[in-house]
Amino acid sequence: MYKRNLAIAVLMLAVVVGLTLLVACSSNKPLIAEKSGAQLWGENCVRCHNAPSPPAFNDYQWETIAIHMRVRASLTDEEVQKIVEFLKMAN
Amino acid sequence: MKRWGSTIVLVVLMGVLVGFPVYAQTGSTVEQEVKALKPGLSRFLLRGYAHSGFESYEKENSFVGGSFNPIFLWQQSDRLLFEGELEVALEDGTTTLGLEYANMSYIINKRMIVRVGKFLIPFGIFAERLHPRWINRLPSNPLGFNHGEQVGPAAALGAEIRGGAPLGTAKINYSVYIINGPSLNDGSETPEAAGMLHFDNYEDNNTNKAVGGRFGFLPFSSSALELGVSAQYAKVGNENSRYRDVAARLFALDLSLVKTVPAVRGIVDVKAQYSLTQVDDASYINPDKPETMYTFKNENAAYFIQGTFKPAFVANTFFQKLEFAGRYSAMTLAEGAAWGGQKNQWAVSLNYWLDWRTVVKFSYQYTDAPGAEAEAVEHEEEGTPLGGAFLIHWSFGF
Ligand code: HEC
Repeated sequence: MYKRNLAIAVLMLAVVVGLTLLVACSSNKPLIAEKSGAQLWGENCVRCHNAPSPPAFNDYQWETIAIHMRVRASLTDEEVQKIVEFLKMAN
Repeated sequence: MKRWGSTIVLVVLMGVLVGFPVYAQTGSTVEQEVKALKPGLSRFLLRGYAHSGFESYEKENSFVGGSFNPIFLWQQSDRLLFEGELEVALEDGTTTLGLEYANMSYIINKRMIVRVGKFLIPFGIFAERLHPRWINRLPSNPLGFNHGEQVGPAAALGAEIRGGAPLGTAKINYSVYIINGPSLNDGSETPEAAGMLHFDNYEDNNTNKAVGGRFGFLPFSSSALELGVSAQYAKVGNENSRYRDVAARLFALDLSLVKTVPAVRGIVDVKAQYSLTQVDDASYINPDKPETMYTFKNENAAYFIQGTFKPAFVANTFFQKLEFAGRYSAMTLAEGAAWGGQKNQWAVSLNYWLDWRTVVKFSYQYTDAPGAEAEAVEHEEEGTPLGGAFLIHWSFGF
């Protein structure tokens, strides 16, 4: 059993290393800091659940939800600020 | 002409005099109304979810009461948030009330948040991010991620520091925590469970706290991929027992890949987690021969890999709301222990989304226990029943 676990762990590590190398080779990607709120919303808010659309909540609710998601999803301060701005503008 | 002119001026003046107070009054009423509706700095949001369903196993079928989980969020300032979740559930004919989490987060700076209270543990991704019923793509939890047959912690009391940071075209996030930690079942009350780790003890059984953490790495600038490693260490034996120095080491690896694939007009989502718990060797009372002791390699593992496809960008509005999900999970509990054994499970589901948080799941799963003696399986009460099962669940997030 131990061997099997080790095999699975090694396999997952291999996937990790492989994917990291893949990224290292794919250069000239845009910096996250240069992305718009709309794009960051589209890329980040679907990662765990379906992305809520801007009209789902009002401005004040979005602000509280943003803090909740910033904590829960460990999103960066910069992206959360931009996403909230976009959600408040587009709702 | 002159007369007309002054008459007009007079009329306009009178109009202004009569009208102004009215105008001014309406102006201030609207303003006041808006002001009255504007929330103060201290804000409250009530959200949550509910679910129930119908489950048909080989030997029984039943509507299941599911649960109702209100989530309370109090935002006291830009930096201070309280989150609390209750779970009201119907279990075995009674209504149970549980405290899923209740904690306070304080944003210290851009990269650091401190959290204290009872919180979901970032040991891998299932417990913290995927278990809510409207997020989990299947009606059941993977093997090893259920109450009763749990490999790794789900929630605990303690303190945590966490945060996220951009790193050029990549991103990282981290969490470091200290919690009461799991406790070791020493078999004094239930010899057949001796050696098991219990993760839901909310009062520590010793002075040693568990320390752990998770590190997440998102290599692509699109944030599509996240890879995580988690670990936790603690002494788990009761303070005044022969097991006081028995320690448990926990490890987990997780993966999340979510990508819009234009070629198939949909969203592909892959999630996986592998969890391992290792407990130091110790001898326990042998449940078959209570006058003797026995020992075993106390190592437990569970993993799942889940894939979903949602054709969100096809023209047909019915198909847009459909989702196909599949999951394989397996669990190996300490070989040689009275509670040891192996199980694996296939699960597939066809989901229909009524909105972003409301879903009906039609699923079939098959659970197998290779190597288990038929008799032992017959008497199994805890955990996922073996064989095939149809599960139909609806989940409603609000
Ligand atoms: C890392 C995973 C993750 C990411 C990324 C994420 N969420 Fe969430 N979200 C969750 C979880 C988990 C919950 C459920 C909270 C619970 O039930 O305890 C949730 C709940 C919500 C809710 C329900 C209300 C609430 O606050 O609980 C909203 C709205 C929401 N998320 C919006 C967003 C938005 C907007 C984004 C993008 C900025 C986002 N989420 C990104 C994991 C995530």
